[in-house]
Amino acid sequence: MRAQRMRRTPLSVILGLLFLSMAATSKCLGKYHELLLQLQRQADLMQDTSTLLDPYIRIQGLDTPGLKEHCRECPGAFPSEDALRGLSRQGFLRTLNATLGLVLHRLTALYQDLPEAQQLVGLNIRGFRSNIHCMTLLLRSSSEAETPEPTQPGPGPTPPPTPPSDAFQHKLKSCRFLRGYHCFMHSVGQVLREWGESRSRSRSRRHSPRRAPGDTAPSGPCRGGARRMWPFRRDRRLMPRGHLPR
Amino acid sequence: MALFAVFQTTFLLALLPLRTYKSEVLSEPLPLTPESLKVSVNSTRQRLHLQWTVHSLAYHQELKMVFQIQISRFKTSNVIWVENYRTTVKRNRVLHWSWESKLPLECAAHFIRMRSMVDDARIPKPGFWSNWSSWEEADAQNSLGHDPLFVFPKDKLVEEGSNVTICYVSRIHQDNISCYLEGVQIYGERLDRSVSAFELKNVSFIRKKGTNVFCKVDQGGALGGIVLFVSKVLEEPKDFSCETQDLKTLTCTWDPGSDTGLSKQPSQSYTLFESFSGKKTLCKHRNWCNWQVAQDSQETYNFTLVAENYLRKRSVSILFNLTQRVHPMTPYNLFPKNVRATNATMTWKVHSIGNNSTLLCRLELLAEGKVIQQHNVSIKVNGEYLLSELEPDTEYVARVRCAYTNHFWKWSELISQKFNTAEAAPSEAPDVWRNMKMVSGHPTVSLFWKPLSKVHANGKILFYNVIVENLDKPSRLEVLSIPAPARSTELTLDQCSYQIHVTAHNNVGPSPASVIVISGDPGNEEVESGRVNGTEDGFSVSWKPQSGDATGYVVEWCDGPQDLPCVLQWKNLGPNTTSTVISSGAFRPGVRYNFRIYEISAKRMAHLLEKKAGYLEELAPSDNPQVVMSNLTSHSFTLSWKDYSTESQPGFIQGYHVYLKPKAGEQCPPAFEKTVLPEDSVCCKHTIDNPEQKTFVVENLQPESIYEFFVTPYTSVGEGPLDAFTKITTPDEYSHILIRIILPMIFCVLIVMIICYLKRQWLKEKCYPDIPDPYKSSVLSLIKSKMLLKL
Repeated sequence: MRAQRMRRTPLSVILGLLFLSMAATSKCLGKYHELLLQLQRQADLMQDTSTLLDPYIRIQGLDTPGLKEHCRECPGAFPSEDALRGLSRQGFLRTLNATLGLVLHRLTALYQDLPEAQQLVGLNIRGFRSNIHCMTLLLRSSSEAETPEPTQPGPGPTPPPTPPSDAFQHKLKSCRFLRGYHCFMHSVGQVLREWGESRSRSRSRRHSPRRAPGDTAPSGPCRGGARRMWPFRRDRRLMPRGHLPR
Repeated sequence: MALFAVFQTTFLLALLPLRTYKSEVLSEPLPLTPESLKVSVNSTRQRLHLQWTVHSLAYHQELKMVFQIQISRFKTSNVIWVENYRTTVKRNRVLHWSWESKLPLECAAHFIRMRSMVDDARIPKPGFWSNWSSWEEADAQNSLGHDPLFVFPKDKLVEEGSNVTICYVSRIHQDNISCYLEGVQIYGERLDRSVSAFELKNVSFIRKKGTNVFCKVDQGGALGGIVLFVSKVLEEPKDFSCETQDLKTLTCTWDPGSDTGLSKQPSQSYTLFESFSGKKTLCKHRNWCNWQVAQDSQETYNFTLVAENYLRKRSVSILFNLTQRVHPMTPYNLFPKNVRATNATMTWKVHSIGNNSTLLCRLELLAEGKVIQQHNVSIKVNGEYLLSELEPDTEYVARVRCAYTNHFWKWSELISQKFNTAEAAPSEAPDVWRNMKMVSGHPTVSLFWKPLSKVHANGKILFYNVIVENLDKPSRLEVLSIPAPARSTELTLDQCSYQIHVTAHNNVGPSPASVIVISGDPGNEEVESGRVNGTEDGFSVSWKPQSGDATGYVVEWCDGPQDLPCVLQWKNLGPNTTSTVISSGAFRPGVRYNFRIYEISAKRMAHLLEKKAGYLEELAPSDNPQVVMSNLTSHSFTLSWKDYSTESQPGFIQGYHVYLKPKAGEQCPPAFEKTVLPEDSVCCKHTIDNPEQKTFVVENLQPESIYEFFVTPYTSVGEGPLDAFTKITTPDEYSHILIRIILPMIFCVLIVMIICYLKRQWLKEKCYPDIPDPYKSSVLSLIKSKMLLKL
């Protein structure tokens, strides 16, 4: 397991830097499918727990029986897969962008705990956001452009203000946050895959909520059913300022 | 003022007994009872803080008092701590006292009360305790939230090796709560219905992120935990010392030991304090710190280095004179100048220290990693030294380090520079030897020479010159130039005598010549061969001088076995030498080496003196001779192995063993003795102790018997391998006699028969001639006629 993680880590570094370098060129890919494929791959990379969660658990000593279980709980701070699937494409991209922005902010606070991994994941997220930007431009310019939706999707992992927690609570919260982040990226990957399928099926319809048979997406960091534990609070988070999705 | 003091004391002394008397009689509370007692909880440090006042004192009055403080836990009757606190009390002054609880304060309510007593020498004994104050409660549990399970103390920072008490408070009052230290269950003591405590003894450092301790309800899933930050014990800085390179900045260094940094606690800080100047600086690095030397010519410094973290301080001090701690900077620009074959000048520079300071520099010269010269040079800024007695064409390393002359403290770091001396002409003649043989009737000389050692070559040898001079008739010199690295050449000469000069040449010039003389008439150089013993060191060869005018001797040999091409080796020896040890890494056990000892005459001609052969280590023969059997009779046969070469054996052949297996039950022949073979079979053995005797007649055998024989050589180490025996059968004893008689007889009979056959007519006529038939006789016809007539 460890050897497998060791093998995966350099690959993720290379891929991350590759994506980043592509993003850094500030030239968006004009081809929808290529951009979508890139986003899917980036999402697959970012759901990999060996990049962030696993080293965090190891460094904090949470890899002991009794504590592991409490880190497996995915918090409700991230939009669920169903909620993401229910959004329009523009809305999905905005939500994704905003959520990752907040993740980036939260990761900065974790710098002391995971300096190297945090830096790498930060680069990945920035690269991914750059591609989100490109996809947004592409969709806006295409004939498929949808009616503008809320510019500020709102959902984010900002927890309600709580009194300062002790180190133990902080460890568990951060662990759950990282688990939630990986789960979220898994959901994002699933939705992006369905984009490709629905586009090939029908250019006029929105993406289908059902996963195509034979989907070869990598298995995610969340257990089956875990996603159901994150009710998507559409009214409070995704639909701020009175705007409703179409 | 003194008068006022006397008055005050008198007043007090008068007042106090009166009050005491009143309390005894009236049982009224003393007016010196502690008042306004307030208790606060410091959860971080697990301390209870008490503050109170004593109002009853007179204005400006100071009195020594003792306060007895009681602390109870959970309930007032459960007193866990009693302490007498002595202090001087002033009117309206707030008094403070604190107490550290082993048990985290959040886990239990604590109750505190106190009473007081005057403890002043000015008041006569005995004193009396005041009444107890009322119980004050310190309950940190009130501030807890609504979680079902809490574990304390939160984020406690302790040193490695400490004992820590942790506790949990359960709001659900369940018994099935388990606690774990880094995943390993721990067991504690139940203090209350909802509180249990665990004592962790001698805690150890696990990680910088803290040690995880957590409790959980076995089935409910509620979890509470703490992180215990265990710091390594702050060590006293070791090897603390300060030095300066320029008398302007002092650099202090030390070994900081373990890093005590944790998430909860930064790494220990280091502060440098100088007592004479009263200055201090916070060091930016954990193992060194710079200190600017004061401009006011401070010479003596007393530094204290203080290491500090949240839990502990450690310090170490040194006192020194600045000028006795000068560690000069590394010299620079070390270069060779005017490099010749045997000398070179080294130049270098140093950073100046102060004004007109002198540095002592040590220049070392290294060859092949070893220091061969060492020179001390006193300089101010520029250094220069002429290195002499160098070897030509040799790589040297020069290195320099310097120290402060006024007071030696430390050498500076070394600076090194490689350089090569120039070449010179080879200083020694090559070592030359020859081997003579006749090829197609012409004497052919093979000349060999050894490459000059590096010490004598003085540069790269480019070629060898061979000059051949005919001594018998004047002729032009023949000059051969043989490029290096060739080590031999071949010359075809005639029957004259020749003088051969060999010189080695490098870029600068030739070496001295090596001269040998070769006679056209090789003469009869047959000498007897002797033996030489090999030892671990080689072969110890000795000889007897033949003539008194020998200028030297040469021992010659081949390094390889005889069946391989000879790699000619030789060793030159002085005229007074009569023995030497020949050693070579090429010598192998079981190989015969032949040594020839030559005497070199005054005319530089070599004459063979002796021959020696020997083995570094003799071995048993590796193979047996091919034996031919002949002259088989009924009583003997002859064995011969004339083709067997004793020279090429792995040891000196001392003789042969002839083994004979007679038929069962038969005795050994007279020349044989009974012996037992390795496979336990019994046979007869005869020893031939002359290696040159290669035939043997086996006699006294029985006719018509089967014999088996086997011949093997032996050396001083043992005999050859045990091969298969050859079987023979002796013939019958009389058969040859019979053959000698019967064959001639048969021959004669045959002759007689043939003659008889050829002369049978004659024999018939002579021996049994034909008998006339009477019926055909004329007489009979006459008789018949007569009878007929009678009738």
